Amino acid sequence: MKILSINEWLLSFMPAGAASITEMVLIALIYLTVFAVLGLYLVLLERKVAAWFQLRLGPNRVGYKGMFQTLADALKLVSKELTGTVKADKFLYNLAPYFVIITALMALSVFPFTENLQAFDINIGLFFLIAISSIGVIGILLGGWGSNNKFALIGAMRSGVQTISYELSVGLSLLTMVILTGSLQLSEIIEVQKNGWLIVQGHIPAMIAFMIYMISGTAETNRAPFDMVEAESELGAGYHTEYSGMKFAYFFLAEFINMFIIAAIATTVFFGGWLSPFGITESIPFMGIFWFLAKTFVLVFLMMWFRWTFPRLRVDQLLTLEWKYLLPINLVNLVLMAVIVWLNITIQF
Amino acid sequence: MELNSFLLMRHEILLFSIILLLLIAELFLPRNKKSSMIHLALVFFGIHTAVGFLPLAEGSLFGGMFRSNEMIHFFKGVLNIGVFTLLLQSAQWLEKNMLKQDRGTEFFLLLFASLLGMYFMISAGDFLMFYIGLELSTLPVAALAAFEIMKRESGEAAVKFILSAALASGVSLFGISMLYATNGSIYFEDIMSTLTATNLTLLGFILFFAGLAFKISLVPFHFWTADVYQGAPISIASYLSVISKGAAAFILMILLFTVLKPLMHVWEPLLYILALATMFTGNLFALRQQNMKRFLAYSSIAQAGFILLGLVTGTQLGTATVVYFVTIYIFSNLAAFGVVQAISSQTGKENMKDYEGLYRTNPKLSLVMMLALFSLAGIPPVAGFFGKFFLFTAAASKGYYLLVFLAVVNVTISLYYYLLVIRAMFLRKGENPIPFFKSKIYMKLGLFIAVMGMLALGLYSPLYDYIYELSAAFN
Amino acid sequence: MEKVIFYLLAIIMVASAIASVSSRRMLRSVVYLLFVLIGAAGLYFLMDYNFLAAIQLTVYAGGIVVLIIFSVLLIQHIEMELEIAKSSRRWFSALLCLMGLSIFLGTIYSHPFAVAETTSTTTVAEIGRALLSFEKGGFILPFEVISILLLAAMIGAITIAKGGKEIKQEVPESLDIDKILQDAKQQAEEKVMELESSTKN
Repeated sequence: MKILSINEWLLSFMPAGAASITEMVLIALIYLTVFAVLGLYLVLLERKVAAWFQLRLGPNRVGYKGMFQTLADALKLVSKELTGTVKADKFLYNLAPYFVIITALMALSVFPFTENLQAFDINIGLFFLIAISSIGVIGILLGGWGSNNKFALIGAMRSGVQTISYELSVGLSLLTMVILTGSLQLSEIIEVQKNGWLIVQGHIPAMIAFMIYMISGTAETNRAPFDMVEAESELGAGYHTEYSGMKFAYFFLAEFINMFIIAAIATTVFFGGWLSPFGITESIPFMGIFWFLAKTFVLVFLMMWFRWTFPRLRVDQLLTLEWKYLLPINLVNLVLMAVIVWLNITIQF
Repeated sequence: MELNSFLLMRHEILLFSIILLLLIAELFLPRNKKSSMIHLALVFFGIHTAVGFLPLAEGSLFGGMFRSNEMIHFFKGVLNIGVFTLLLQSAQWLEKNMLKQDRGTEFFLLLFASLLGMYFMISAGDFLMFYIGLELSTLPVAALAAFEIMKRESGEAAVKFILSAALASGVSLFGISMLYATNGSIYFEDIMSTLTATNLTLLGFILFFAGLAFKISLVPFHFWTADVYQGAPISIASYLSVISKGAAAFILMILLFTVLKPLMHVWEPLLYILALATMFTGNLFALRQQNMKRFLAYSSIAQAGFILLGLVTGTQLGTATVVYFVTIYIFSNLAAFGVVQAISSQTGKENMKDYEGLYRTNPKLSLVMMLALFSLAGIPPVAGFFGKFFLFTAAASKGYYLLVFLAVVNVTISLYYYLLVIRAMFLRKGENPIPFFKSKIYMKLGLFIAVMGMLALGLYSPLYDYIYELSAAFN
Repeated sequence: MEKVIFYLLAIIMVASAIASVSSRRMLRSVVYLLFVLIGAAGLYFLMDYNFLAAIQLTVYAGGIVVLIIFSVLLIQHIEMELEIAKSSRRWFSALLCLMGLSIFLGTIYSHPFAVAETTSTTTVAEIGRALLSFEKGGFILPFEVISILLLAAMIGAITIAKGGKEIKQEVPESLDIDKILQDAKQQAEEKVMELESSTKN
């Protein structure tokens, strides 16, 4: 664990065992806070962006320009009564939100926010992210089934179909980039990019991979134009129709965090993570976190832009897009990237 | 590794190219020309079978994961002929019933994939390849058993098959993992030198053996056989009882005689008991069957018991007799199933009662059936007699007199029920006999090959000598 | 520390495994199974087999369990419960399982395993090289053959899912003499009528 060498600081006044446990608890607390704040402000951002696209003002009453609007919403949700259907499978119904939220939280832990701020630098980082994100869908499936509601069930089934299909494209497009980096470890992926961001290094195939990644990433998070899962006009609210209060908030938060995660992976793999453009702030290490977040939020903004631009796809169109277009393109692109790396025609500074 | 050393995998590479060619052909053939797929597949496979008999060097590839010698090569040739005969016999059924439903090519694809699995299984040089081969040979067959999906029994057979197969392969894999745990290697060569009879190895061996015993349908693992044979399409029942069982018996023999030789004192009594149980169960249950497919299923269980008789010996003579017997068994059973197939695809009748008076209406078919049953029973003019006789000789040479005696008792029992069918065909005058019909040329050819195989193996003795020579490789 | 985590995972796994086979709700069984699989992934992480752990998560937890859940969603209703066997049978099978378990455990624990002195983390690059090596210890052949297996499984699945129409046995049409006679009679009458009308004109 590299987190600002908390370890050493703790060890200075604690025995080793207690120190490591305290360290874990501390890190967990930090990440939980980041998680909550991030989720809340992403929701606010979404609402502001939506308002901007639709020439409205958006939330502007609570706090300065509506700064505390989502905080107030969260307070409202916490204080609400938890309702549910009578014949629901209570165990699964209650379990489902935790799947979604825990996977999102675990995924968050592997990102290097700066060179030294990374909780868990596992040597299979990228693969770990893909693995974790593939579990999140189970929460949606269970929630849809557990609430014993037709619409919820249909939403859950759609989500399953969607996630299983688009997971392939996410994985393959990231794999394309792994050919370039030669490592799955996120810190090493960023290390490689000191000679130029990967999207520049890998030029054409990297750009194709990036486009595919963004499309399928948007689909993975069940956002418009791929929001069949919760299509309001057809399914009520989809898989979380029957959830209320804090449990609904879990789903809601996890969705936004997942968007952040998708954008953060893209930042790390394509745009150099915490590296500053042309190394302009190389001498100031903590500026890394600024660059990381800036890049990520640009991509988040891109995904929000999608939402307010494209109409929703039908289920069959969704599957056609994945299996007949994205997947074949992706496979060809993988080969192309391999050839480019083999012939060594990458662009490096 | 040189490029031309891949020639050692000629069988596999050829068959896989055929699969790919058929897959592509299926894409580009127009819908109304699908019947030409059958001819195409038959021609391809015919060429493959013929090429398969060209001589092949000995050796191993991929660091010993794949190995081939003349015996394995010979047996692949036998499997090829068997599958070719089977394809000829099922061409009519495919054309008449399956093509209308737009499902002809898949039959070949799946069957060939399964055969490919058997190739890999019998030339495996380590437990991993063996296991993957086993899976590859089993999985497609489950889909094939459900090939007549609109029939309820067919789907049921597939489900029964896949469930029991999954259990068996899981158990087998567990056993393999124990063998790996005790020996630290999955390569046969390495295991051969380090294998000792500790408790854990024995447990592993028994679990592993159970998986293969399922494939050969030895007695405690035979429950799936009759149900699956009855529900599945006849071609698949035939495939399961002939090709699949033959290949599994062959690899079991190789494994027992080479890798697991250090455990001989364990598997010898085990096989002894299983042989007896299998023979008696198969034969006694076969007595009561009315459906021809079930009847042949139990008869094939009983035949598996006879195969064990040769395995018990663990000598070169044992190897030779087992291979010889399995080869004969393949041809005899193919002939029997071929007749059932011919009659069923023309009239849809599968019960023994329907066969009454067959000789009067279809004398040629009933003659073929008679030869096949004689061969299965082991009556002198046909090959089956020699097959059993040599097996008994091999067993007796190791001093298993009691076992041989009980086996002879079993032959007598089996003779009774085989003669029941023959009596129905020749002596009975049925109320509603099957009308005279002419089979298509493919079916005739298929039956002809099977009969020729039976006669040639029985009457042309150099074949046995040739097999005996080859079997030196495993001892 | 490692021991504590190991036993924690082990207890979770065993408890979920028992719950999985004894639950009467199908989907709950699947979820318990999921816990077992995730627990196994945790064990791999504990042993520093990161790649294997991630594979376990993607393939089993993320792939197979999702597919199982999917099929349960398609065939089961939330109020359905699985049947329960007679209690005598349950006791019998429990006894058998315990016997099997004791045999296995007894054998495994009595075996003198050699303890490896050094452990090293397997990197992804090593796994990749082993997968593509054709020397001894390489796995290129199984790797390729598995792809054939998957192809065959896919074709098989499509074959089954494609369904089919009922096969009609071609039965030769039986001669319904009455109907033929009636038709002939009707035709004859029509002819007569026609003739009559034409002669009238």
